Amino acid sequence: MLGAFRSAFATPDLRKKILFTIGIIVVYRIGSTLPAPGVSFKNVQSCAAQMGQGGIYGLINLFSGGALLKLSLFALGILPYITASIIIQLLTVVIPRFEQLKKEGQSGQGKLTQYTRYLTIALAVLQSTGIVALAVRGQLFGNCQQEVIPGKDNIFTLAVMVLTMTAGTAIIMWFGELITERGIGNGMSILMFINIAARLPNVGEQMLQNAGGLTFFVVIVVGLLIIASVVFIEQGQRRIPVQYAKRVVGRRMYGGTSTYLPLKVNQAGVIPVIFASSLLYLPQLLQQLVGNGNSWWQRAIQTYLVDQSNPVHIIIYFLLIIFFTYFYIQITFNVNERAEEMKKFGGFIPGIRPGRPTSEYLNHVLSRITLPGSLYLGIIAVLPNFFLGLTGEQNSQNFPFGGTSVLIMVGVGLDTVKQIESQLMQRNYEGFLR
Amino acid sequence: MGIRARVRELLERPGSANLQRYRPIVTRAGERERELREYSDAELTAAANRLREGTFDKAGLAQVCALGREAARRTLGERPFEVQLLGVAAMLNGRVVEMATGEGKTLVCALAAAGYVLQGRRVHVVSVNDYLARRDAEWMAEFYALLGVSVGSIDQHSTDAERRIAYRAEVTYASVNEVGFDVLRDRMRTEASELVTAEPDVVLVDEIDSVLVDEATVPLVLAGSAERAHGDPQLAGLVRKLKSGTHYEVDADERNVNLTDTGLDHVERELGGIRLHTEEHAALLTELNLALHARALLRRDVDYLVRKGKVELVNRSRGRVARLQRWPDGLQAAVEAKEGLAASPTGEVLDSMIVQSLIGRYRTVSGCSGTAMGVATELAEFYKLSLGAVPTNLPCVREDEPDRLYETAERKQAALVEYVREVHETGRPVLIGTASVAESEQLAAQLDEVGVYGVILNAKNDAQEAGIIARAGEHGRVTISTQMAGRGTDIRLGSANGRGGERIARLGGLCVVGSGRYHTGRLDDQLRGRAGRQGDPGSSVLFTSLEDPVVTHNIAEPRPPAQVGEDGQVTDRRCVELVRHAQRVSEAAHLEIHRNTWRYHQLIAKQRELVLTERDAVLRGERAAELLRERCADRYAALREEGHERSAIDRAARLVMLFHLDRRWTEHLAFLTDVREGIHLRALARETPIDEFHRIAVAEFAQFSAQVHERSASTFEEVKLTENGVDLEGIGLRRPNSTWTYMVTDNPFGSEEERALAFLGRALKSPKTDQD
Repeated sequence: MLGAFRSAFATPDLRKKILFTIGIIVVYRIGSTLPAPGVSFKNVQSCAAQMGQGGIYGLINLFSGGALLKLSLFALGILPYITASIIIQLLTVVIPRFEQLKKEGQSGQGKLTQYTRYLTIALAVLQSTGIVALAVRGQLFGNCQQEVIPGKDNIFTLAVMVLTMTAGTAIIMWFGELITERGIGNGMSILMFINIAARLPNVGEQMLQNAGGLTFFVVIVVGLLIIASVVFIEQGQRRIPVQYAKRVVGRRMYGGTSTYLPLKVNQAGVIPVIFASSLLYLPQLLQQLVGNGNSWWQRAIQTYLVDQSNPVHIIIYFLLIIFFTYFYIQITFNVNERAEEMKKFGGFIPGIRPGRPTSEYLNHVLSRITLPGSLYLGIIAVLPNFFLGLTGEQNSQNFPFGGTSVLIMVGVGLDTVKQIESQLMQRNYEGFLR
Repeated sequence: MGIRARVRELLERPGSANLQRYRPIVTRAGERERELREYSDAELTAAANRLREGTFDKAGLAQVCALGREAARRTLGERPFEVQLLGVAAMLNGRVVEMATGEGKTLVCALAAAGYVLQGRRVHVVSVNDYLARRDAEWMAEFYALLGVSVGSIDQHSTDAERRIAYRAEVTYASVNEVGFDVLRDRMRTEASELVTAEPDVVLVDEIDSVLVDEATVPLVLAGSAERAHGDPQLAGLVRKLKSGTHYEVDADERNVNLTDTGLDHVERELGGIRLHTEEHAALLTELNLALHARALLRRDVDYLVRKGKVELVNRSRGRVARLQRWPDGLQAAVEAKEGLAASPTGEVLDSMIVQSLIGRYRTVSGCSGTAMGVATELAEFYKLSLGAVPTNLPCVREDEPDRLYETAERKQAALVEYVREVHETGRPVLIGTASVAESEQLAAQLDEVGVYGVILNAKNDAQEAGIIARAGEHGRVTISTQMAGRGTDIRLGSANGRGGERIARLGGLCVVGSGRYHTGRLDDQLRGRAGRQGDPGSSVLFTSLEDPVVTHNIAEPRPPAQVGEDGQVTDRRCVELVRHAQRVSEAAHLEIHRNTWRYHQLIAKQRELVLTERDAVLRGERAAELLRERCADRYAALREEGHERSAIDRAARLVMLFHLDRRWTEHLAFLTDVREGIHLRALARETPIDEFHRIAVAEFAQFSAQVHERSASTFEEVKLTENGVDLEGIGLRRPNSTWTYMVTDNPFGSEEERALAFLGRALKSPKTDQD
């Protein structure tokens, strides 16, 4: 991999792309630390330190690279853009006009992209207003009493804050598109990756302070082991050979080793973890809405569901992930459709009739491979919960070596490296004939 | 120029190039006109020759335009208009020019070609077919002669010697296929002296949208004969008895056909109770699939003709017989078996190239077309060409009526016949554009019944093309054509000798009627453009129906129309819009095919280039001799002792190595085709198919050179040297005769999100349909 990077830098236009991407990332990080106008930087710092990393905006904060709790220019991060694109995507199956646009290729897609941008801005206005309002009322940082926005009575100051944060979101969206277009990798994923990675030093520092050098060292080693195993398992596949029977081929001098239907061990990706953790988020949300009461159910929620180091919580989390893994694969890997499509293009699995028998066979293999896949996802996701005590964290989302974070980081990392490799292969052909 | 247009130009949006900036050149050329009129022919030629010496600046450009105009006036009797010179100036600056039909594109191309030649460049003028290439070269011959520019042309019957002469001329006219095939054939030569083509320099493309976009999805293929594949008549017979629906099903877009379970049971029983979907019977299954494809998807007189015991393909977007095309990989044989014809020799792909790679060899690319604007994006994306429009000389007064949409194809047909009858009664000439040979004949029969006797122009009688077109503008004439009467045909009002034109103009000019929309709007525009040339009056109207292929292929379930008139005409606005939508979907699909072909060929093109560089070193240099002298020193010495000349041994070494280079490349291509076929499956594991393709292609290619050397060495050890050189039998090379297109999309499954969305969509929509 390092070799790939070295040769990537030796290729001029690839080097340009990588440097461009890094340049954007640097600007993005700077923007994430610049406080919005009207914010008292000192007070925000001390409030954020007081609060630790928990709280209702933990997850959003994670995805914004910690920018949210700095009330910075890029406080909203890439999330409004992601949300907007998900919403527009959803609408394409509901609204006939959108469906039509989607099918019309480039020009239609262009319009949809335009709608996504408008929606991003709208969402950004909403979200930044909400955040500014929370900050004004002192709710953003839990019980912190310091004034984070000194001029909060001046409506103009607040409006400027909303405006800058919205503008910041627009810029992030532009950055994302720029990276996709002229840089390397998918802009949205890269910015997401950066957000998560940017928190690592911070968390590490906290761990060092709270738990001491030895634990810190052990956690780092364990973390690296986890990452290595994730990288390993992410690339695991079951390959079902497929043959195509639509062309008469003269002489075949090679085995059809490259034509196969790949099933990943982790076919579902990171989605089941996100689903499960969002679902387990609800009780916490509920608790925060109704406040800390003392009735039996409130206590039960607090003990079993909200406390992430409680065995009950861990088990429920684990089971939910296994359930969502099966559910999501059922949705996205429709064996009947795959079998139909193979049939349509003249493909078949040797020894198995197309149509129903093929889909049954696929189903059989898929359900076999999903079990270890889902167990793996579950284990990776709950691992940080066991470490909670060590870091003094209350929220497993913030633990850098487990769950969503590591899956996203490894996924994006692998994709990007693959893309660099692929571009490299296309370009570096000098010296081939030697 | 509006602000919007300026902003678009600033942003370099496709199709926004401002050609008005060349206006001053045209003005300067105009100023020189009077002076040049005084020149004798010889002086004119001398003036042109003087240009070759100087450097080329604005004054030079103006001089070229002025000289060209004067030469055209003298030799062709046509004085180029201001707008034509504007086009010439733009083309000399490497822009692509859109000019309406009938504005004299041929002349503009010739002027631009002469302009480049006088700058010391060599020009290929490339057009869509041999007919246009030959016609233009002959038509412009005198014009070029007056400017002292040599010109040559090539068609499919040209011999190698003729080709060599034509390529040596300063301007060469040829169809894109011929140029491509010459380049491909040259890469199989074994002697440097046999090479035909010259170093590519400037290419001017006539009908640029057709050549660079429509044709670009079909790679040019050089095939050599391999074993003779035969379609099995028994299988054809078996398949003929199958019934649509029960035994097999055809997709909505009519691209694929499959056996149903019943059909499969039936076939397996008929074949003696075997299981077809096993490794053992894969070959038989392939033949069966091909037979079924030939039976269900390829229709006689639509997709192909049978003439003189041969199957001839019809090119859909041109409506002509595609002479050099064959269906790939056994399909041709299956069709021949279906029609009970003798099997023609089949080929193995020796090398292939897409139009992009062909055009990419030239240092300068420019061109023109009547409908280039529609492909501005593609020209910018794939060829980095910028495009601008030239205004017409006289404003176009043709009336383009809105589409008339009918509920069923039958009603549409009836309405069309009625419309043509009415127009015909007024005496106006009518040109009807249809989608296929079969449709044109059927329509002609229907018109016969109502007493309108039309002339058919389709791929079957293409020999009479020029005659039919010359008379298409006559009083009371009805011409029923396929897409043939599209590009490059100029229909003048009145009879062939130009009389009666005014009378026809008073009646309203040529009336163009389309029997449906084509798969791209550009073809519709080409058809419409047959009327209203150079300010002539004229009209056009398209009759469409909800049962037209363009609708049924591209829209899964068209909404039933809300309002239907008594004659079956649909006035529902949303329905009318639906047809346009269907066409846009079809255009998008074509673009996607194009883009995929392009993406998958980029790396192959690169590898090809490397192989060709090596090949060139072997062909012209001592590479092979050096290599084999080193690797097989003993053998080399032994051959010397046998008394062979050094040069003979070197020549043998060269032939051996060339053979293995070509052989290995053929294998490499076959391997990649194989990989390509199933690479889309990788998307299921969230991998990018194109990246995986590259990974495999690169790994495979890494061993290429070593293997060639190894094989050459081992052949060299064994091969016998005779009087006639080395004995390498069985490499019989044939003329290129095959084409091949790939599947529609890179990822037919859609991305994972799309699949999840589709699930959601179904979940959301199903309750709704329950309520209905």
